[in-house]
Amino acid sequence: MKLDLSNPAWHQTLPPGRSVAGDAPAAACAFSKDGSIAAFALGDGRVRLLPADINAAETPAGEPLHNGVALALVGDPAGDGFVSGGDDGKLLRIGADGTASEIANQKGKWFEHVAAHRATGAIAASAGKSAFVVKGGEVKEFGPHESTVADLDFSKDGSRIACAHYGGVTVWSIGQVTLPPRKFAWRGSHVALKWSTDGKFIATGTQENDIHVWRMAQATDMRMQGYPAKVKSLSWTADARFLYTSAQPVFTAWPFSGKGPEGKPPLQFGEEGAGLISVVAAHPAAEFVVGGYDSGELQLGDIKTRRSVVLKMADGSAITCLAWSPDGYKLAVGNEAGALLVLDLRR
Amino acid sequence: MAQPQVPVTVLTGYLGAGKTTLLNRILSEQHGKKYAVIVNEFGELGVDNDLVVNADEEVFEMNNGCICCTVRGDLIRIIEGLMKRKDKFDGILVETTGLADPGPVAQTFFTDDEVKARTRLDAIVTVVDAKHFLGQLEQGDEAEEQVAFADVILLNKTDLAGEDELKKVEGKINSINRYARIFRTQKSQIELAAILDKGAFDLNRILEFEPDFLHHGHDHDHEEEVKSLSLTAERPVDPDKFQKWMGALLQLRGPDIFRSKGILAIDGAPRRYVYQGVHMMMDSDWGTPWKEGEKRFSKLVFIGRNLDGENLQRGFNDCLK
Repeated sequence: MKLDLSNPAWHQTLPPGRSVAGDAPAAACAFSKDGSIAAFALGDGRVRLLPADINAAETPAGEPLHNGVALALVGDPAGDGFVSGGDDGKLLRIGADGTASEIANQKGKWFEHVAAHRATGAIAASAGKSAFVVKGGEVKEFGPHESTVADLDFSKDGSRIACAHYGGVTVWSIGQVTLPPRKFAWRGSHVALKWSTDGKFIATGTQENDIHVWRMAQATDMRMQGYPAKVKSLSWTADARFLYTSAQPVFTAWPFSGKGPEGKPPLQFGEEGAGLISVVAAHPAAEFVVGGYDSGELQLGDIKTRRSVVLKMADGSAITCLAWSPDGYKLAVGNEAGALLVLDLRR
Repeated sequence: MAQPQVPVTVLTGYLGAGKTTLLNRILSEQHGKKYAVIVNEFGELGVDNDLVVNADEEVFEMNNGCICCTVRGDLIRIIEGLMKRKDKFDGILVETTGLADPGPVAQTFFTDDEVKARTRLDAIVTVVDAKHFLGQLEQGDEAEEQVAFADVILLNKTDLAGEDELKKVEGKINSINRYARIFRTQKSQIELAAILDKGAFDLNRILEFEPDFLHHGHDHDHEEEVKSLSLTAERPVDPDKFQKWMGALLQLRGPDIFRSKGILAIDGAPRRYVYQGVHMMMDSDWGTPWKEGEKRFSKLVFIGRNLDGENLQRGFNDCLK
């Protein structure tokens, strides 16, 4: 896989792509399962679909699907479109043509987080203190937890989900056999969660500016402190060797190969941004990474060569969402001012 | 990108005092402003408005070993969510349950950086039931603490109580919190200007907000009670000694001190030093400069439980040059 990271022209002009004014803050973005559509969940309830082919004609904006904010979005692992959650209490399935149908409705609650498992076609979404798993037309509730589910993720094989909340993480088996949930405790409020791509670790970001990682096999845990802000974005590399974390001015990756990160400093590289990284997304296959800053910049990096390039964005609005296309050649970027980008990084 | 901070008003009050009536008024009256309202009982409000958000009061303890550092995690989430909206609003109202301690709500605005960046705590407004307040004081600590935290008090349902009764209730409110402004109301009817955009937590407005700020005096109530007191000094303050004394005081007595604020004449400093806090959490900054020839003074205010005014004054005196 080759991405054009060394192109100095990108300092001045963005890579080839399309840029659309979303007219509302972007809350989340994703690519469809086949990679042909990029979508953005927006602060006016719209889910904006754009062809991933940057030369194809732009599709119209459409009407708001949520009455409020579209908060969460994933590519539909069981279809050609997307699944979105909103602060209107609705979880929607959106077709490639932009038409929506309701999967679940939790009036008075917010569907704030949605995760997808590609191989099994399952969706997990949280509303209030419960998580809901959607598979083959069936919706199953897991919870309620002791407090609102602040984030959730699937295990590698899709047989379990992990939910973050006050006091730690709860892991549920979602298959046929209903096992009691497994709890991983750590005091305080856990606000972000990612299960490692090899299934061996669960990482959370906490309210108190640190990250917490549980080793599943031994149920041992570790804490990494010293961030200047909450770590709200976590991303494991495809090979599970590194965990990228936001809330630093440069790329910050904890090494998880061998004995793990205990007693080691994180690997840091890249140019310092004006602010902190607000969203980080490891490449789905190769050693690349993209970071979006709360000061509006975008940086692409290569952990192997430690090279990176800062892409100057048009405005200084905080980057709020990033997504790689499944083939790893395209990148969707959204910011707080509603700028929506689809970039083609193919060399 | 710097954005204006949205003012947040916290609305407390015992069960049945009239909070819901007040919220309905704010949401339905024509005032040309848009408010997001965070309530704990969805459906209680008669107004159908998509800016009404349901919240469970999810309090958590900060992981720093301090038992009074409790925060409303649900508020942090909801405020972050509201900030993603395309349509902005002029303010946020947070209603607490009738039995809630206002501490965690207030502390949320001292704790979370993003909440601090996007919003500012404007004032704590407490609705008091004129007829039942004295009885509610006997039921537990809640009614008393809600008054202790308040910047503005609506003495509501005055039509159901006689003048003598009202005087007695006002006297009791004053003995708990003599710094709050009291408005007598019926059916929660009040000019919005009286309760919104007060800047009660604004360090620059500490002097102008306090109606009684320069009144000095100790009362000799029974110490078990919640009361407010002030300490004053004319000699300049030694900043190191003060920091040590205040730090130790809050460490030891933080849970008992609901609100505190002060203006300090720091030795050799051309500007006033101002601070305000809730339990152990503090905000401080340099305020306006002293004028040429102006008489410099320091003044601290505490509202709390079991406060020993003489002991506190002695401790404060030891911080003076």
